[in-house]
Amino acid sequence: MPPDYVDPAPIALLEDARKHDQVWAEIAPRYGVTAADPPWKTSLSATCECLAAGGALASLDRRHAEDQLARSIYRDVSAPERQLLALAHTMLRRGLLGEDDLARRMQAVRTRLQAS
Amino acid sequence: MIEEITDFEVLEIAVRELAIEKGLFTAEDHRKFTEWAETIGPAGGSRLVAKAWIDPAFKARALTDGVAACKEIGIDWLEPTGTGTPSDYTEFRILEDTPELHHVIVCTLCSCYPRPLLGMSPEWYRSPNYRRRLVRWPRQVLAEFGLVLPPEVEVRVEDSNQKCRFMVMPVRPPGTDGWTEEQLAEIVTRDCMIGVALPRADRKADDVRPVQKARRPVGHAEARVGTD
Repeated sequence: MPPDYVDPAPIALLEDARKHDQVWAEIAPRYGVTAADPPWKTSLSATCECLAAGGALASLDRRHAEDQLARSIYRDVSAPERQLLALAHTMLRRGLLGEDDLARRMQAVRTRLQAS
Repeated sequence: MIEEITDFEVLEIAVRELAIEKGLFTAEDHRKFTEWAETIGPAGGSRLVAKAWIDPAFKARALTDGVAACKEIGIDWLEPTGTGTPSDYTEFRILEDTPELHHVIVCTLCSCYPRPLLGMSPEWYRSPNYRRRLVRWPRQVLAEFGLVLPPEVEVRVEDSNQKCRFMVMPVRPPGTDGWTEEQLAEIVTRDCMIGVALPRADRKADDVRPVQKARRPVGHAEARVGTD
């Protein structure tokens, strides 16, 4: 059995984020959008690179954790949402982000996007 | 135009903003990497292979020094920072196929990929399914991609890592005599440069990978009773 790279126990905030299943693969066809990836995918890739560049989260560690989470709690989530959840999960478990901070920020971002 | 704000869109922004505020990286660096990610794609790889097919001297240079050959066609492995990206170490080797030897690339540990030449890796390339099985049963996995090679053709799997990237230079297919570099580039698709497909004169696009829904999916049984 390979070692755990990250504690796979579900995180309430992320379980909340995924429960509506607003994955690109499902919603894009509803709007007739044919782009294969959501618009935030390149930004997610950049976040991963930057975390590695700054030393906060090395790429191999991040990918090992992602593989572990992708075969366990996020196995039902399609890509790239699975990669995003795995990243957030790993950052929370490692203390790079706080769950309360993230919850507050998500609320603020949502309010901001809804206003514009 | 997608009119709903998804939880994932919100999560991505929130993670990024908090990371910047905590000093994990700067907004400027993030912008640079995002722009870079948006510019890369397989067109560079296609041009390199097409040029090598037409110009034997360029081909020889490309096989000797992959990074320098990329520079000749306008692809700089040192972008976007001047020293490359953390995920793309600047060692790049081009693997020449022959009628007797077929290469295919993988990264068993994670998903290292020649991104400056091919763009972002496809999801299947990142999956443990591909990564674990290709090195053990390459012919079987290639057959799942529709590529069946005769036994007399040697299959060589090249495992990429953070220190070295690879790309396949396939054999120029028949029926392409007298073609221009542009015409040749059109048939050198991403999958051909990974090694899971062969270029053909009549093939300008990679096959769409079908998603087969499991009949008895693990994990769905309780949540979605009564559906496929």
